[in-house]
Amino acid sequence: MDLDAKAAAPDKPLAEPAPVTLPEILKRPDIAERFAQVRKYFYLRESTYDMTRRCNLRCDGCYYYEGDKQNTQDNVDPAAWRTLFQAEKARGITFVVLAGAEPALVPELLAACYEEIPLGAIASNGLVRIPASVGYRIHISVWGDDRTSERVRRAKRMLERQIEIYQGDARAIFVYTFTRENIAEAHGVVERLARNGCKVTFNVFSATVGYHGPLRHTPATLAQTRATMLSLLEAYPEEVVFSRYNAAAHTDTLSLHDLYSCPYPRQNRGQFGLGRTFRQYRSDLTWIREAACCVPDTDCADCRHYAAGSAIVTARMNRHIASADQFRAWLDYVDTYLAVWVQGYGKHPNLGTVPISPSLALQTSR
Amino acid sequence: MERRIAEILIQELKLENVTPDTFDVNTDLVKELGIDSMDLTTVVLVLQGEYKVKFDEDTYPSLTTVRAIADQIRQLQSTVS
Repeated sequence: MDLDAKAAAPDKPLAEPAPVTLPEILKRPDIAERFAQVRKYFYLRESTYDMTRRCNLRCDGCYYYEGDKQNTQDNVDPAAWRTLFQAEKARGITFVVLAGAEPALVPELLAACYEEIPLGAIASNGLVRIPASVGYRIHISVWGDDRTSERVRRAKRMLERQIEIYQGDARAIFVYTFTRENIAEAHGVVERLARNGCKVTFNVFSATVGYHGPLRHTPATLAQTRATMLSLLEAYPEEVVFSRYNAAAHTDTLSLHDLYSCPYPRQNRGQFGLGRTFRQYRSDLTWIREAACCVPDTDCADCRHYAAGSAIVTARMNRHIASADQFRAWLDYVDTYLAVWVQGYGKHPNLGTVPISPSLALQTSR
Repeated sequence: MERRIAEILIQELKLENVTPDTFDVNTDLVKELGIDSMDLTTVVLVLQGEYKVKFDEDTYPSLTTVRAIADQIRQLQSTVS
C-alpha cells in the first residue's frame, strides 16, 4: 500500500450513509463497543506538576528551560507535596502528569505523589531509573538516533542506555519526537525499540514562543513526518501506539489550537472543562492561571505536541460526529491517548480504515 | 421537555437516587452533581439527536441545569422554525 499517496489524498466518499447524530452513530456495534470502553475514563481530570528545576541534561529546544517557570525555588519536602496532592484530590483531580525538569531526580517526591493520586504519567529522559514502587506510566523522550541525541541533548549512547534501563518495564513507553531534522532517523530508532520489545508513540516538535531554530517544522517536513508515522504504524502495529488520525491531527499545517480550539486555561478563560480544573504547578507548588497549559511556553500557533492533543482532540467529541468514519477516527485517537497515558490500559486495534482530515473537525465547529 | 431531558441525563450518566419526576431542574450539573465536561458533551450530543437541533460549542458552558438546557433547545427550535 502506498501510504504516502494515501495520506496525501483527499477524504474518500464514505461507503455508508452519513449519520448526523450520536445515537445513530452508536448503532454500529464496533463503535458502540469502543465508545463504552473509552467512556469509562471520561472521569479523568488532569493537572501537571513540575517536580524540580534540576535535570541531568540540557537539550536544545527544551520546554522546561524556556520562559520563567525555571526561576523558582524547589520545594523538596515530600510532606508538602503530599498535602498538595491531597488538596488536588479534594478538588477533583484524578490524573497527574509529573514533568519538568527531570522527575527521576526526585524519587521521594514521586512516591509521595503516587500514594495520594495513583493515576498519572511521568515525563522523563529515561537515563535514571524510577523506582518500581512508583506505578505511574513513564514517558521516555527520544529525539533521534544516538548521534543526534549526542548533538542535541549532549548525551552519549542515549537510546542504548534508555533501553537498558526500561526494557521489559510495563510502565515505559518511548516517545519519539519528530523534529525537522530527524525524520529519516525514525525508522532505525523504532526498529531498534521494537526489536527490544519496547512500546513507542509519536510526538511532533512544537516551537516555544520565539523559537525559529532548525527543529521547527515546515509544511514539507510535516508531510514527511506524517508519511513516516503511517509507514511505521503499519510496519510495527504491536509496538507503535498510534492511529492514522493521530498522524493527521499532529501533522496538519494548522496547529492543534487552530484546528480544535485549545481548552487549556492559557487559551480558554472560561470555567468549563479544563478551563475550570486544569492547573500547571511549578516546583515551588505555585501556579499561574494565565500560563497554564500542558506544555507551557509553547507557541500555540505551532502546537502539535502529543500531550496537548491528548486533551485538545479528545475534548472535541462534538466535532467528530459528521460521519461514522469520523467518529471512528476520534475513537482511535482517544484509545491511543488512554493507552499512552493510563497504566494498564491496552491499545485496541484501530477502527478507522479511511483517512479523515482534521479540517473536518474545524468545519463542524461552525 | 424538562422531564425528558432529566430522563436522558439519568440514563446517560447512570445517576442514582433520582428520577425524572424528582430531578430538580435548577440543580447545577457541574457544581452539584460533579458532571464532567465530556459527560455533558455526550448528553448534549444525544439531545441534538432527540430534538434535531445543533448546540453551538460556545454555549456548552452555560448548559449547567436542566432548565438552561431546555431553554436553549426552545431557543434553537424557534430559530429553526
